[in-house]
Amino acid sequence: MAERPEDLNLPNAVITRIIKEALPDGVNISKEARSAISRAASVFVLYATSCANNFAMKGKRKTLNASDVLSAMEEMEFQRFVTPLKEALEAYRREQKGKKEASEQKKKDKDKKTDAEEQDKGRDDDNDEDEERLEEEEQNEEEEVDN
Amino acid sequence: MAAAAGSGTPREEEGPSGEAAAPQPQAPTSAPGARLSRLPLARVKALVKADPDVTLAGQEAIFILARAAELFVETIAKDAYCCAQQGKRKTLQRRDLDNAIEAVDEFAFLEGTLD
Repeated sequence: MAERPEDLNLPNAVITRIIKEALPDGVNISKEARSAISRAASVFVLYATSCANNFAMKGKRKTLNASDVLSAMEEMEFQRFVTPLKEALEAYRREQKGKKEASEQKKKDKDKKTDAEEQDKGRDDDNDEDEERLEEEEQNEEEEVDN
Repeated sequence: MAAAAGSGTPREEEGPSGEAAAPQPQAPTSAPGARLSRLPLARVKALVKADPDVTLAGQEAIFILARAAELFVETIAKDAYCCAQQGKRKTLQRRDLDNAIEAVDEFAFLEGTLD
């Protein structure tokens, strides 16, 4: 479907939201302007990628990394992006670390659970009775409050 | 009799798409931490891969490119708006964008690419 790089567009709804939040309330944007901005964003990514790739090649690396992209921003005269991008990168790294730890924890819990479930099979009926009693107690409390 | 006409609700080009008519799911808007990146990384990755000289790109690089693209959209929208303001209009037009591209050096790479 996308035959040329320039045809790879970013989702219109997201672009529109970013534009609206950047502009004051009550300001609108024409469809033509919005699609031109979307196209410009794609061109920006392509250009930034190309610049970043140059830095990667200079470093004799085959994989683009974050610092290549930051260097590309400076090369493209978008130095003002560098600081917010560095902050975003830090947050992203923390999130990735958190996700990794969470999934490792889930895995541990899952292993524990499968062991515990085998032991718990006999206890299920008892738990149901306990829940019914709790519900009755809650209803009683409500009646008292009304009075 | 104060009519509400003065509040200026121009509907010229937006049509019915005013507010939440987009089929995209509503992303959480209040938590700043949740807005690490609004642009889908998969699409950004597709753009990066379109470059024949690029072998591989790390996940962090894709993320930063996505975030940079968002910053770029904000920047160019604001710059284009300055032009619209001078024309006392409240709707950003294509020509505002063209003017911004001509006026701002950093946008020179866009010349000739949007047609």
